[in-house]
Amino acid sequence: MKTGGWIFLILSWGLLLWLNGFCFYKILRHHGLEDDD
Amino acid sequence: MEQTKTAPKREGWGSKLGVILAVAGSAVGLGNFLRFPSQAALNGGGAFMIPYFISLLILGIPLMWVEWTIGRYGGGFGHGSAPGIFHTMWKKNRFIKYFGVLGIFAPIVILSYYTYIESWLLGYAWFSVSGKLSQVAATEQGMRAFLTGYQGLLPTDHFSGLGYAYLFFLITFALNAWVIYRGLKGGIEKLCNWAMPTLVICGIILTVRVLTIGTPHPETPDNTILNGLGYLWNPDFKALTNAKVWLAAAGQIFFTLSIGFGVIMTYASYLNKREDVALSGLTASATNEFVEVILGGSIVIPAAFAFFGSARIVEIAQSGSFNIGFVTMPMIFNQIPAGMCFASIWYGLLFLAGITSSVSMAIPAIAFLEDEFNISRKKAALITIAIVFFLCQPAILFLGRGVMDELDFWGGTFCLILAGAIEAILFSWVFGMDKAWEEMHHGAEMSVPSVFKFILRYITPVYLLAILGFWLYQEGWPVILMQGVSVENRPFILWTRIGLLLFFGLLSYLVWHAWKKRSTVTDP
Repeated sequence: MKTGGWIFLILSWGLLLWLNGFCFYKILRHHGLEDDD
Repeated sequence: MEQTKTAPKREGWGSKLGVILAVAGSAVGLGNFLRFPSQAALNGGGAFMIPYFISLLILGIPLMWVEWTIGRYGGGFGHGSAPGIFHTMWKKNRFIKYFGVLGIFAPIVILSYYTYIESWLLGYAWFSVSGKLSQVAATEQGMRAFLTGYQGLLPTDHFSGLGYAYLFFLITFALNAWVIYRGLKGGIEKLCNWAMPTLVICGIILTVRVLTIGTPHPETPDNTILNGLGYLWNPDFKALTNAKVWLAAAGQIFFTLSIGFGVIMTYASYLNKREDVALSGLTASATNEFVEVILGGSIVIPAAFAFFGSARIVEIAQSGSFNIGFVTMPMIFNQIPAGMCFASIWYGLLFLAGITSSVSMAIPAIAFLEDEFNISRKKAALITIAIVFFLCQPAILFLGRGVMDELDFWGGTFCLILAGAIEAILFSWVFGMDKAWEEMHHGAEMSVPSVFKFILRYITPVYLLAILGFWLYQEGWPVILMQGVSVENRPFILWTRIGLLLFFGLLSYLVWHAWKKRSTVTDP
């Protein structure tokens, strides 16, 4: 794997992990895992 | 609010996480694990991720927000399917509801062949556990013969006809029917609440296993997992000057997020106006992308490269999703210790990805019967299940005649892009961007950056129409003209088209009838 490949892999994985972390953190902080009703 | 006063009491979701996992479950399908890696590898490797992420930003996520927003808006008026939702957005136009028929027609057509493919996964999971797969997975020829025998296309040593395939189809269909019959909260939400985390865990197990394979054949030291990852991720920037690469990336984003199906709209129609759609839409997209890029991108192509080398990887990537999933992967698993155990995890994972998608596809039709004809949910579910069972038969019995490909072309490609383009234009230009923006932000738990106003109004519709035009020119027209279809298969293709037209006509008639009945009482 070339350096360019590593850069794209790390950036893509990093971006998606950050996005998922951001979204689920916001949701779980407000709602938790329990039923809303 | 007028909406909540006029809307009849409708079913709801149990939790916010539940509806997000249900939408993500609908989006995560076989394409995440089979289509994405081959598309990336064939279209510039790491450089493919540039148009891919740009498409996600200007096409995927905005359309996700559109579907969540208009679904919740229509649900406020008691409409859970596209005809009613489109009608509430453009009441002055009496024809717009007929465009909404696409949002019921497409998922049912897809369901009529998708359930059968899903049943192959269950069958292969069973053959992995029972050891039958390990007897034939030594050679490509053996695996191909096994697949065609299982599909009933040719009698082989293992299969004399369709018996096994039909048995697994019945089991798969019964599982789907049971989940659908139990409804949103008791069926689909419960399924997705355990199936999605299980799927991710299975994906992580397989990813770790593949990434630790190293150099499986020391006599070919270049065939390593790292070089396999390199084949997928090393950027080829020249590819970015090719319009086909941009089209491939946009197409992958569009199809992977289940946009245009009508399913997300229906799911969102069961939310109330105080519930968030902005963060939910983004989270469902993010979950799908995690599964696709991180898990889907780390299994098939790196493993195939390590075992078969650079000479064969292009051929494998070009061989299509079915070949990768049902021929290449069993051969790889056969060469690693406890391979059949990992094969059963692989097919189990794909089956979960399949069933969380297939159960969602019946919901728009059920919502349509329930909301527009006042049929009880259970009765509407039974009617839909019976119709789908009947519609599944041509794809099973005439697989070798190209019927499944034809259904996939109309239901799984053409209608989706068309419906997506209609939604985008309806949202930004007919409903009005300011009103749409305000609607999207009701109860929002995040603020959508205002640049998306411009993107939604100008870029997304133009991009979608360009995809539709390019796709029709490059791939659609030859299929419509039946180029490449053998003379003996043409009658089957023609009858499939007639059947699809009749089904579309029947749904359009039902829409007309529902509104005629409704207009005698009161217009919604």
